[in-house]
Amino acid sequence: MAFVELTGIVKNFGGVRALKGVDLSVELGRTHALLGENGAGKSTLIRILTGAHRPDAGDIRIDGTPRTFRRPQDAQALGIAAVYQEPMVYPHLSVLENIFAGREIANSFGVVQHAAMRRKVAPWLDRLNMPAALLERPMSSLTLGWQQLVMIAQALVQNARVIIFDEPTSILSQAETDRLFAIIGRLRADGRGVVYITHRLDEVPRIADRVTVLTDGRVRGSYPIGKASHEHLLSLMAGRAGQEPVPDTHGLPRPHRAPLAAAGKPAFSPPVLEVRGLTLEGRFRDVSWSIPAGCVTGIYGLVGSGRSEVALSVFGFLRGARGVMLLEGKPIAPRAPAEAIRLGIGYLPEDRKLQGIFASKPLESNLTANALGRFTRPLGRLDFSALAAAARQAMAAYNIKARGEASPIAALSGGNQQKGLFARWAARALKVLILDEPTRGIDVQTKDEIHRFVRGLAVQGLAVIVISSDLPEVLAVSDRVIVMRQGRVAGEWSAEAMTAEAILGAAIGARSEAA
Amino acid sequence: MSGRGFEPTRILLLLAFFVLGLGGFALGDVGILSKANLTSMAVFAVEIGIVALGQTLVICGGDGGIDLSVGAIAALAQVLLGLLLVAHMPWPLAVLIALASGAAMGGVNALAVTRFTIPPIIVTLATMFAFNGLALVFTGGINIDLTAMQPSFLALGQGSVLGLPLQLVAVYLPLLLVFVFLQHFSRFGRALYLAGANELAARLAGIRTAELRGWTYVISGLLSSLAGVIGAARLGTARPDAAEQMNLVSIAIVVLGGTGIFGGDGSVIGTAVATAVIAVVDYGLSYNNINPIYQAGVMGIILIALVLAENMVRGRGGLRRLWSHWARAASEDPSQGS
Amino acid sequence: MPSDASAHPLAQPGGRVRRIFRHLPLPGEREGGLLATLVVLSVLIAFGSHGALFTPVNMDNLLVSAAITAIPAIGMTVVILTGGIDVSTGSMLGLVAAIGGLAFEAHWGLAAVVPVFCLTGAGLGLINAALIIPGRVPPVIATLGTLSIFRMLVFLVTGSNWITEIPPSLTTIFIVTRIGPLPMASVIALLMLALAAFLLARFRVGRHVYAIGNNEEAARLAGIRVRRIKLYAYVLLGLLTGIAALMTLGQSPMVQTSTGEGFELKVIAAVVLGGTELSGGRGTILGTLLGTLIVELVGDGVVLLHIQPFWSGVLLGAIILFSVGAAWRPARSD
Repeated sequence: MAFVELTGIVKNFGGVRALKGVDLSVELGRTHALLGENGAGKSTLIRILTGAHRPDAGDIRIDGTPRTFRRPQDAQALGIAAVYQEPMVYPHLSVLENIFAGREIANSFGVVQHAAMRRKVAPWLDRLNMPAALLERPMSSLTLGWQQLVMIAQALVQNARVIIFDEPTSILSQAETDRLFAIIGRLRADGRGVVYITHRLDEVPRIADRVTVLTDGRVRGSYPIGKASHEHLLSLMAGRAGQEPVPDTHGLPRPHRAPLAAAGKPAFSPPVLEVRGLTLEGRFRDVSWSIPAGCVTGIYGLVGSGRSEVALSVFGFLRGARGVMLLEGKPIAPRAPAEAIRLGIGYLPEDRKLQGIFASKPLESNLTANALGRFTRPLGRLDFSALAAAARQAMAAYNIKARGEASPIAALSGGNQQKGLFARWAARALKVLILDEPTRGIDVQTKDEIHRFVRGLAVQGLAVIVISSDLPEVLAVSDRVIVMRQGRVAGEWSAEAMTAEAILGAAIGARSEAA
Repeated sequence: MSGRGFEPTRILLLLAFFVLGLGGFALGDVGILSKANLTSMAVFAVEIGIVALGQTLVICGGDGGIDLSVGAIAALAQVLLGLLLVAHMPWPLAVLIALASGAAMGGVNALAVTRFTIPPIIVTLATMFAFNGLALVFTGGINIDLTAMQPSFLALGQGSVLGLPLQLVAVYLPLLLVFVFLQHFSRFGRALYLAGANELAARLAGIRTAELRGWTYVISGLLSSLAGVIGAARLGTARPDAAEQMNLVSIAIVVLGGTGIFGGDGSVIGTAVATAVIAVVDYGLSYNNINPIYQAGVMGIILIALVLAENMVRGRGGLRRLWSHWARAASEDPSQGS
Repeated sequence: MPSDASAHPLAQPGGRVRRIFRHLPLPGEREGGLLATLVVLSVLIAFGSHGALFTPVNMDNLLVSAAITAIPAIGMTVVILTGGIDVSTGSMLGLVAAIGGLAFEAHWGLAAVVPVFCLTGAGLGLINAALIIPGRVPPVIATLGTLSIFRMLVFLVTGSNWITEIPPSLTTIFIVTRIGPLPMASVIALLMLALAAFLLARFRVGRHVYAIGNNEEAARLAGIRVRRIKLYAYVLLGLLTGIAALMTLGQSPMVQTSTGEGFELKVIAAVVLGGTELSGGRGTILGTLLGTLIVELVGDGVVLLHIQPFWSGVLLGAIILFSVGAAWRPARSD
């Protein structure tokens, strides 16, 4: 019988249904891969299993007994532990202390017993191939890969029966990945249950006994390994809302594809923005993009593939990248976003709350934040009527629903906030506009609307870049697609050649690499 | 006006408080409303009011912005002025040099905060030591007597225009107008609000946040030295320990005036009204012969009470929440803390 | 698979001695630098003052002053390690001294007055903790407020009068009595420092202090009692301030309304100089001790070298800025 059994799990965030009745079972001594794109609901499911979120509906049974987790400790006490993508660590404490944080072994006076802690962790160190000398090093001196092993040691020391790995290899090198897989194999052989979350299809047959595909908060299929072909899983992942697998080589329908402004001219002649051999240590390596005007270039890649980092380097926010950046053929090296904007480069950031909106400020301030110079009169005076007029104009042009330009942006729906941020950039005269996840976490209608706006900008002759980990979005909105994987360009397709399978395959490094 | 970062409720509340306070003291002794008393009140308010204007901008800029060196800058600028005057430098030039020194001292803060990214509280604590120390060094700890200086200089702190104190009419009120313009009607003010509200978003929108913040420290230094100059002219002495209470009082005034300690909101108008309230409380207390140290104490109480009250209003549940926090701290249940 | 241990990227030529001592609070790089600074300063001052630094009278003065600063600095270190700060310490010292002084005036015996000092201090620390933890007032604002409130209370409690009826026994106990070459105050301070260093380095609660400062959210999820430990930190600082107040009266047997003014700056300067990071989670008691000694030595040296005493503030400010600025990593754009 399965050790963990989730049935009919439903979770809503505000109006968004993250999980729509998901079943999942985890057996001891087995590895269960959970496969899905970003935003499919994998992380939410895991947070429910570890007690960080409470489900709105559905049952959790551990070892046959129904349980309710009020807090993470409840799940831990029942033997469920998680190793997150970016480990939660105490950088200035030693590895040993990180392993035992909050669960130190101490004598009756409260003196921490390092020898006992070392003894307790020693057998696990052997299993993890971790040298004992590591225990005394400060956590911050370890690479992320080693930090992950420390977190695994922590789970083992807590006597976890089920260990959940949340996309553990996205930050690992090949050697580190191989090491991790060997460890997972040993955990399974020990009789522990492993849940392995990934969007890298190629990893699944190497480690899993069973694979479950999750998209849009629903289970699309669950198969023992070997019972589902690579291609079938790929099509399940690429598929959307009740659609059958997409066999057609032209990818998903692209309803908003408008005729190009450059139509008739040789395709995508001279690039407006070009980066050549751009490298930023630890972020991306030898990246070359050539971005023409009058069309939308989609940049597809998973989180951590370096796509946003390249954009932020072009935008002058990340510094220290080596290589060449050319704008209309002239070399540029912006040292701050302010400089990049003056050159005619815009960037819509991916995290709306953290990097985008000024929550406490009115819509008008938000819409005009990047163009204050345009509204500045002698003596540095701001022209408020012009600001308000510009804001109202943007609201009309981009269908932003708000009571007025003076109402705080926090009062708007997520979709309208996002349209506001889009309008902030669309209203400026630019040469290149980079949109990083322009429709993350918003409703379908607004998504379509924004896609239409994006096409509109391209038709007007702007060079538009859409960075996205949402494959249907990339297919729907782009004229050409560049795929990034692990900090490198993994392929490039023109509109005629791109298919969901090829792009996804290149992004996750599957066998059928097209590029 | 909300589009310009202006929050009228707090200001109305403060105005009511101002009237009530004045009325309260007047009930005790109507003599407090005499012209001489009101004048002294205004004269007191001007110096701290000027400093509070600069402090408002520093705090508004966010990212832990705070200036603890305002008192020390005022004292050092005052001492420099005194030394230059005693050395027979023409007073307008001496005043200019004193003001420039204030801006330069603010520049030191700005550099340390923005270039070396040392937390503002540490930077301004250290420069407070340093500037206070220098003021003492330059004078040997002795007050410099300026009562024999030209009347035109002393008028800066003692003169009157149309029966009102000169520094109020000719310095503070024009300055207030400039700052209202700067904060609510200029590009600088708008950008500062945005930087304070969301540093990351502001940088990604092309606002040079470090540069902006740097300027707020320079402005704060300049205004502190101006307060020092006026103080010297008012009392006819330059004292190295002139403005010890200024740090706390200016911060209290700013927070009282509705500027959140985390930046991105508030208004110099609120600061100005809060200055008036503090002046009334302060003068009312000293009029009734209450030791000035109590005034600082009352200020501390007002400051804490205000932030506490605001926290309680913001966190739904108010008092109940406070008590449940207590109960939890006692029976520590760490899971519910987030 | 990294099977070959010597080729392992993390393999270190691990000396056995190192491993034995790894949990003792041995000097790190920061402490080494401070120690060097201290030695250089001492040598300079000793030569500049023609040996006046090492006269018994001066050494006693220096050691007692250092003890009075170091004791609250222990508490300040803990507070800052958890990510907080307390700028009210000077006024708190004054208020405790005033209340304790009143007890002396009422001819309470020493055995009864000592608990008064300790409890008053702890109580005042509890007030700060209450404002900061459940009240959610930012630590700077809360303690800036209590800085002036406590000072006001000093005036209220003393009626603006000096309290001079301090029994000479305090001086006898803390300064005249010595163990070996050290006055009792310094011995007590050293014992407390050692105890604190041990508590922070080896006890569960001490490690939790560091964990909170490193990653408060993770600490909470790991079941560490974050709020309670923060509360302990402020109360401990209060208690230690109370003890320092008692010693202050041994050093100069009277309470003025200005007693303790500016003391908080000295304490914070010592801690920050000692390498404790204001963002929390990093710092040692040994660093704090060295920071304290440097702060006191600067003050003493300025007197001995016949420099105007006012230079000590300038020097201190410069040293703080320099040392914090030098230690700060200029990694801003992330």
